Amino acid sequence: MRGMDIELRDVSIRFGGFTAVHPTNLKIKAGEFFSILGPSGCGKTTILRMVSGFLNPTSGDVLIGGKSMAGIGPDKRPTALIFQSLALFPLMTVRENVAFGLEMRGMAKGPRSDKAQELLDLVALGDQGEKTPDELSGGQRQRVAIARALAVEPAVLLLDEPLSALDLKLRQHMRSELRDIQRKTGVTFIYITHDQGEALTMSDRIAVMKAGVIEQVDTTDLVYNAPSTAFTATFVGANNMFKGKIKEVSSDGAVIDTKYGLLRGTNPKNLSVGSEAILFVRPEKMTVQSGGKKSDNAIDVKYERRDLEGAFVNLHFLQDGDKFSVHQTNVNLKSHEKGESCTIGFDSKAGMILATGELADE
Amino acid sequence: MSHVSSSAFGRSSQIILNVYLVIFFAYMFLPLILMVVAGFNDFDTPSVTTWKGFTWKWFGVLAQDTRMWTGLINSIMIAVGVILVSMPLGLAGAFMITRFQSRFNGLLYGVMVSPLLTPGIILGISTLIFWREGGVSGGLFTAAVAQATYISSYTMLMFMARLKRQDVTLEEAALDLGASHTQVFRRITMPFLKPTILTASVIAFLQSFENYNTTIFSIGGSHTLVTEIGSRMRFGLTPAVNVIGIIFVVLTVTFATIYVIFREREKKRAAAVAG
Amino acid sequence: MNSLRRSFGPILSLVIVVLVGVWVIGMIVGPQLIMVEQSLWNKEIGGDAAMNSTRIDRLYNEVDTLGFDISDAEALAESPKRTEKIATITAEIDAKKSTIKELEAVEIKPEKIYSFKNYTLMGASHFFIFVKTIGAAVAVTIIAFIVCYPIAFTVAKVATPGKAALIMLFLIIPYSINELLRVFAWLMILDNNGVANLLLGFMGFDPISFLGSGAGVFIAMIYAYILFMVFPIYNTVETLDSSQIEAARDMGAPTWQIHRKIVIPHAKPGIAVGCIMTFMLSAGSFAVPNIMTRGIAEPWFTQLIYNKFFESSNWNVGSAYAFTLVIACIVFIFMMMRFFGVGIKDIAK
Repeated sequence: MRGMDIELRDVSIRFGGFTAVHPTNLKIKAGEFFSILGPSGCGKTTILRMVSGFLNPTSGDVLIGGKSMAGIGPDKRPTALIFQSLALFPLMTVRENVAFGLEMRGMAKGPRSDKAQELLDLVALGDQGEKTPDELSGGQRQRVAIARALAVEPAVLLLDEPLSALDLKLRQHMRSELRDIQRKTGVTFIYITHDQGEALTMSDRIAVMKAGVIEQVDTTDLVYNAPSTAFTATFVGANNMFKGKIKEVSSDGAVIDTKYGLLRGTNPKNLSVGSEAILFVRPEKMTVQSGGKKSDNAIDVKYERRDLEGAFVNLHFLQDGDKFSVHQTNVNLKSHEKGESCTIGFDSKAGMILATGELADE
Repeated sequence: MSHVSSSAFGRSSQIILNVYLVIFFAYMFLPLILMVVAGFNDFDTPSVTTWKGFTWKWFGVLAQDTRMWTGLINSIMIAVGVILVSMPLGLAGAFMITRFQSRFNGLLYGVMVSPLLTPGIILGISTLIFWREGGVSGGLFTAAVAQATYISSYTMLMFMARLKRQDVTLEEAALDLGASHTQVFRRITMPFLKPTILTASVIAFLQSFENYNTTIFSIGGSHTLVTEIGSRMRFGLTPAVNVIGIIFVVLTVTFATIYVIFREREKKRAAAVAG
Repeated sequence: MNSLRRSFGPILSLVIVVLVGVWVIGMIVGPQLIMVEQSLWNKEIGGDAAMNSTRIDRLYNEVDTLGFDISDAEALAESPKRTEKIATITAEIDAKKSTIKELEAVEIKPEKIYSFKNYTLMGASHFFIFVKTIGAAVAVTIIAFIVCYPIAFTVAKVATPGKAALIMLFLIIPYSINELLRVFAWLMILDNNGVANLLLGFMGFDPISFLGSGAGVFIAMIYAYILFMVFPIYNTVETLDSSQIEAARDMGAPTWQIHRKIVIPHAKPGIAVGCIMTFMLSAGSFAVPNIMTRGIAEPWFTQLIYNKFFESSNWNVGSAYAFTLVIACIVFIFMMMRFFGVGIKDIAK
């Protein structure tokens, strides 16, 4: 099995008057674990169904392995789709499910049964072949769906939120398992999800999507540490926000005038003086400052409460109806009282100033 | 997504399917159209091949037909009787199946739905024989009883479908709050079943009114509208029968359209609620 | 019984049990048993007694004939000859009536004799009609499945919601129109002067007697009962998760394999119900043959049953014929359940 690269060229999809996907260009490398991350209804599933061949683009072209897929049906494409509902055939055994694609390709019973066994071993279900899907647990069904899709030796595996039905523990376990399978097989994975945790832990690269438009395509690190839009910044990971107008621009960043005073941060998009902007700071990059000395980028706030998340605590602060959050590692914690006045702050390199735009509502 | 995306099936098979649908519905509707047209033909036997000009006169002929009118009255009387019998029987059967846990449950259920799988004429015959043993000969009564035998199975299935969606803890909560069983039945169970009673009555009425096979074997010397139509089709056929057909077609088209619109609206509402 | 009492209390439970009892015993099982019992006996009278009965019957017939003679004579003009004639006939009638009375006094009431005789009485011609009826019902069922499956699948899975609603409407309309009227429409088409023969005439063929050959019954039967196949199949196909079909397609299954491997196995209970309903309605149909044979074609089995009950008044043989039909239906139901691997609970939904 060898992965293939995928290219979307000026692809758009309209349903009647509704544009589900605006003209989009995207290149996915062979053998990559690529996630498309976005809220529900953003068009990510539409893209997946188009790559698999269940939908035809209104304009543009899909190329797989450099070949145009126009006019080629889902059964003829080198892709396999794992459905959100998994779509295991309930009246067939697990082995028959896995062997289905091979049977359809006319493979004789003996070889296809061997091949199915091989794949069931790969997903650690070697002894479950004679059961029906109903008799398996959620995680096992998940693995059957993967084995079934891999049986036809696809160059590209398309996964439509396949973990959404599982409980948290299992979901986390399945993440590493999926990653392992992807590495072992070398198949290109396109993974659709609205869960940023899934996207960040598994992927090589992520495309963040909003309302039919891809906002950013980058490696996981860059998507998290250097979001290019306000939407990406708020959709992937949590952020503290300070709205205002850019007052001053210099070579190493910008100063933004907010209701908490002047704050300094980086200016990756080179916004000019006077433009409306938001400064974002990740909670783990914020600190609670001790002592009365006011440094740069300091904000006076009232302590509200704390949530113990295990490895870290999430401290909540309030000021003027705005909420702020600071993460501290669970070591030598100082305790605060509700209503206590505190000062929080951040290093100017941790502040990202981006143009005002639509935020993810979470 | 309730339907499969169009590219799962090729374009050519789409075209073949559409052509097939057109042929099928032509087959379904052309005979009915012919029947309607013949009702306006000024010719003594129902025909479209011999056209003698347009007329309304067969409507008048039908309106004068006293046997048809008594048949209509008999049909309505039987249908009302069937509703009165099949509601309590269907309800009792549904309660028995949904609430009575026993190993005879399957057998009982099989017996209670068996009338739906039995040819209508058999229900008519067996009812006729059964009541003759008791000295009652064929007539409106035996026809109503014979029809109620299988229409009760319909109403039972409808009540069962509704009861399956009922939260039994509601009744238990009411009992816990001190209500008697009769009060629970009146205040909790029956209001929950009310919409089904209404629809089941309509279905029972229509089933009874339309019935021919069971009725003809159990009605003795009397007649209903439908059995009278049946005998006219063998003897003394005039386009007045087509006029009845026209009336049935108009009523059916009207009610079927209302039903489908209503159903679609319900579906949309359900979809909207689901998300 | 406890579970019922817990839900409804003693009084309502009793009412429920009584109502179910009345229905099950008094309306379903009881009448069936009485019908079967009726089919298992006949009244036989042997030897002299039989001859006696025959003589009584013959005398009754003669009295009836003389009655006609009297009314003939009364129609003549008033004359001594007429008076004399009437007197003679009246005397003759009286004589015969007194003989009847004597004979009836010694007549032995016939006794019920239980046997399977009523079932074996069916001659070759009636048995052939039985086979023809069942064969036609099976053929109607198969044709209905072939015609309706694509339509049920289209409505459930292929058509867009708006189009599906429209198709549904077009199915419900003919489905709800009374079967007699639908059959009647075909009477007008297949009649010797009907539309079909008119078209044949245009094409230069000789007219065909559709009704006389019994083909009319078969054609009208397909039309009358075909839609009973659509709805049960539609109901089950609709519950199939569409992604199953897409998954099969994605893995390279051609259309016919998708139907063979995914859709039909899922729709089995619906197909079984459709087949049972279509077969039962066709085999047990009295309306269609009664209208379409018009006394010129060979009767169908249901018509034989009707004749036994209401024309020759032989309820015992009639019951035997009726029960034979029931057995045919039961056998068919069990065959379908086995063939499709479904249980009675799946069927009666």
